[in-house]
Amino acid sequence: MTTLTLEGVDLSYGSRVALKKVSLVVPSGSLVAILGPSGCGKTSLLMALAGLVPISSGSITVGSRELSSNHHRIPPEQRGIGWVPQAASLFPHLSVGENIGFGLPKGRRRTERVDELAHLVGLSGFTDRSPGQLSGGQAQRVALARALAPAPDVLLLDEPFGALDSVLRHSLARDVARILRESDATAILVTHDREEALDLADFVAVMDQGRIVQVGTPREVYESPATPWVASFVGDTVELGGIWRDEALNCVTCGAKEPGEPGVTRLGCSGHVECALGNVAATAQVGEPVDGEAVRVVVRPEWLVPATTGIPAVVKTVAYAGHDALVEFELPERGDLVRARIAAPFLPAVGQNFHLALRHPALVFPAPQPQPELA
Amino acid sequence: MRTSATSVKPARALPGQVYVVDKNPRAPWWLVVASVLVIVVVSVPLFYLVVRVLDVSPSGILDILARPRVLSLVFNTVGLAVAVTVTGVLGGTVIAAVLTRIRFRARGTWLLVSALPLAVPSYLASYGWLVLIPGLNGFVPSYALLTAVTVPYVILPVAAALRGTSADGEAVARTLGLGPIQAFWKVTWPQVRPAAIAGGLLVFLYTLSDFGLVAMLRYQTLTWGVHQAYAASFDRAHAAVLAMLLVVIAIAVVVAERSARGNVHRTTATHLPLEEVRWSFRWLALIAVATPPVVGVVIPLLGLGMRLAQAETLRAIDYSRLATATASTIGVALAAALLAVLVALPLAALAARYSRRWVGALESLGYVSNALPGIVVGLSLVFLSLALLPGLYQTVALLVFAYVVLFMPKALGTARSSIESVSPELISVARTLGASPFTAWRRVTLPLALPGLGIGALLVAITTMKELPATLLLRPIGFDTLATELWSKTVAAEFGAAAPYAAVLVLIAAIPAMILSGVRSVAKEEM
Repeated sequence: MTTLTLEGVDLSYGSRVALKKVSLVVPSGSLVAILGPSGCGKTSLLMALAGLVPISSGSITVGSRELSSNHHRIPPEQRGIGWVPQAASLFPHLSVGENIGFGLPKGRRRTERVDELAHLVGLSGFTDRSPGQLSGGQAQRVALARALAPAPDVLLLDEPFGALDSVLRHSLARDVARILRESDATAILVTHDREEALDLADFVAVMDQGRIVQVGTPREVYESPATPWVASFVGDTVELGGIWRDEALNCVTCGAKEPGEPGVTRLGCSGHVECALGNVAATAQVGEPVDGEAVRVVVRPEWLVPATTGIPAVVKTVAYAGHDALVEFELPERGDLVRARIAAPFLPAVGQNFHLALRHPALVFPAPQPQPELA
Repeated sequence: MRTSATSVKPARALPGQVYVVDKNPRAPWWLVVASVLVIVVVSVPLFYLVVRVLDVSPSGILDILARPRVLSLVFNTVGLAVAVTVTGVLGGTVIAAVLTRIRFRARGTWLLVSALPLAVPSYLASYGWLVLIPGLNGFVPSYALLTAVTVPYVILPVAAALRGTSADGEAVARTLGLGPIQAFWKVTWPQVRPAAIAGGLLVFLYTLSDFGLVAMLRYQTLTWGVHQAYAASFDRAHAAVLAMLLVVIAIAVVVAERSARGNVHRTTATHLPLEEVRWSFRWLALIAVATPPVVGVVIPLLGLGMRLAQAETLRAIDYSRLATATASTIGVALAAALLAVLVALPLAALAARYSRRWVGALESLGYVSNALPGIVVGLSLVFLSLALLPGLYQTVALLVFAYVVLFMPKALGTARSSIESVSPELISVARTLGASPFTAWRRVTLPLALPGLGIGALLVAITTMKELPATLLLRPIGFDTLATELWSKTVAAEFGAAAPYAAVLVLIAAIPAMILSGVRSVAKEEM
C-alpha cells in the first residue's frame, strides 16, 4: 500500500514559518489537489514531501515507511517520490528519451520502459528530439513521463500547467489526470486554479497561511466550505447578514431541496435564517448557533434562480460572460445587493424588476468579529 | 512557496517561473574546507612576500626606499600608469560612444576589431615596432603602445554599459534644450562612469605589472627594477622591497577604485536611434576607433611579417629549438589550464550555490592575484621555494604553480557563472529520480557546466602562453618558452632570430584569443 500520511508537519525557514501542523492522508491511487493562494505553503509542502527540505516536527510516511521526521530525513533519491516541477525543468543536455530514462537503471529494460512511457504521454516519435524542440505542453508531458518512469510510490505535480495558455492547459490537465489514473499513481497536484482542482482531483485540500483549512471531495469543499474564506476562495459568494432560527423549514415549500447524487453527503437543512432573501433553509457550517443569534449567511450566485414566486429584486448591473451572466440585484426591502448567475440567453436588462428564489440551503457561519477575516 | 518573499529566488537558467525554496542552505563542510584551502594556496606568494620584507630591518627598508634610483622608478611607474589610464579612460569612452551611438557600416565587426589589441601581448607589440624602428625607446613609445594595447579594457565595459542604459533620459534632456554632447555628459556619463572607472583600474593594473614592453623600450619601471635587482645584482632584499612597493600601489589603486566607482541604479535599457552624422565626422570617428588596433596589432604584425619574410631570417631558423620552445609553451599552458580549473572548482561551486556574506568575502579573496604583477608572484615563489623546498626551485612544477596562482581568477569567473547557470531545480529533479548528490553533480551539473569550464581553461592556457616576467624568474635553466625566446633575442637586438618565435606565439596564443573574443559568453576583458 502506498498511502501517504502527513502528521503534524511543521516547516520553517529560519524564523519564517511555512507549514503549521499539516496533517493529510492521501489514499493509495488517488489524486489529491492542494489548493491555495500564492504563498500559502503549497510548494513548501511539496519540497518537504520530496525530501528537498527538512521538516522541524511531525512525520511523513508512505505505507509503513517513515520518510521524514524531526530527527531524520531519507534523502530525495531514496524516497520513491516523483516530482514534476512547475517549469518542466528537462535536462537540456539530454534527449527526450534520455530525460525519461534518467531515473532508470541502464540496460535493455530501460529502452522498453522509455518507449512505453513516451507512448503513454503521446510522444512516441519524440524520444530522439532535444528538449529545446518541444512545445510547452510537450515538455510538461516529458517531465511527467520522466517522473513516472521509476514507478514512484507518490507523484508530486507542482502547478504543472501554470505556464501554459488556457486552451492547452485544460486539455493537458485532463490528459494528465487520465494518465495518472491509468498508471494507478498516488498523486498530489498543487495548484492555485480552483477549476483545475475541482475538476481533476478526487480530494481537495485547501491551504491558507501554512495550514490545511479543509479536506474533502470537490463537492464537499465547494458546497459545504468549512469557513467563509474557503467559501470565497473556491468560488463566488454572496454574503448577507441574518438571524438564525432553530426549526427547519419544509424544504418542499422553500424550494431549497435538491436531491444530491447517491453517495454524496450533503448536510441537510439544520434550521433556517431570516435574511434579505426571506426565510430560507440553512445549514450551520460552524458550531451550533442558538435561536435568534445574528449570523453570517453565505450563498453561491448560481443558487439564486429566477422564480415567479420569489422575492422581488431590481437589476442593477449585468456582467455578460457568454454562456451566462453575473447579474447584480438590489433587494428593495433593505437595499441589500446580491449577485446571481443567470443562464443565457434569457438575460434581464438593467432596471428590470425580477423575482429570485434560493434553491440550495444557505450556508451559515458565526457573525463576523469586529476585525473581519481577510477574504 | 511562491510569494514568501524572503526565501524565494528566481533561478536564472530557465525561462518562466522557476523558484527555489530555501535559497540559503548550509554549505557542506568539505566544500568550505576545499575552498579555504584554495584561498590559502593562492595567497601563499603574497603572504610570503610580506614575511620576506619584514625580515629586512626597518632601517634597511627605509634605506632602500630612500635611494634616488628607487624614487625615480616609482615616479616612472606611477607616471606611466596614470598617463595610460587617463588616456585610456577618455579615449575608450569616446570610442565606446562612437561604437554604440553613431550609424556606420559593420558596427559589430568594428566592436570586435576594437577588442583585438587584447589578444596581443604587450611585448609582442613593442617587438613589432622595434623591428620597424629599432631606435624606439623611453616614455612616449611606452605610453603610446601601452595605451593602444590596454584601451579595450575601457571600450568593452563602457560599450556594454551604454547599451544597458536607458536612452530616455538623454532624449528628455535633449527636449529640455541640451545639445547632444551636453546631454551625454549630464545624463548618460553618470550611468557609465562605474564601468569606465572599473576599466580604468584594469588598465592601471596592466600597466603597473607590464614588464616586457617597458623593458624592451628601455623605460625603467618598478617591474624592471625588480627583475634587475634579482636577476642582475642578486640583491634579494632590494627586490623584495620593490616588489612590495608594486603590491602596495596595486592595493591602493584597487581600494581607491572601490570607493570611487559608486553604484548605478539600473534602468530598463532603451535605445535612441543611432545618430546620423556628416561623412567628415564619421571618418573622424572611424579613425579614432581604428587607431588602437592599428598601433597595437596591425603595425606590429606588419613588422613581424616583414622581418619573417626576409630570406636571411628564414634561412637562420633553428627548427628544433623552435619546436622545443613551442612544445614547452603548450605543455606548461595545458598543465596550468587544467590545474587552474581544478583549483577554481570548489570555490566556484561554493560561490555559485551558497550566497552568504562570508562566501562573497572568500570569493573576492580568490580574485586578489588579479591585482598581483607576474613578477611579484615569480619573485615570492623563488623566495618561498628556496626557503622551504629548495628541491622545487627552478622546476617546471613551480612554474606551473605560479601560473595557477596568477591566472586562477580567469577560470574562477567562468566556472562560477557556468555552474550558476545550471538551475538548482534540475538538481532537485535528478535527486527525486534517484541520483545521489554526487551522481546529480556528475550527470547534470558537470555536463552542463563543461563548456564554460572549457572556456575558462582555454583562457588560462592562452594567458599562460603569453606570460613573460614570472616565467623568466622561475623557469628551469635551459627551459625556454616562446615568450622567453622572443624576449631574450629581442633584448639582444636579434630581431630576425626572434621573428619565428613571435610568429608561432601569434599563431597559438593570439589567434585563439581573437576567436574566443567572438564567443558571446566570454568577458573580453579576461583575455
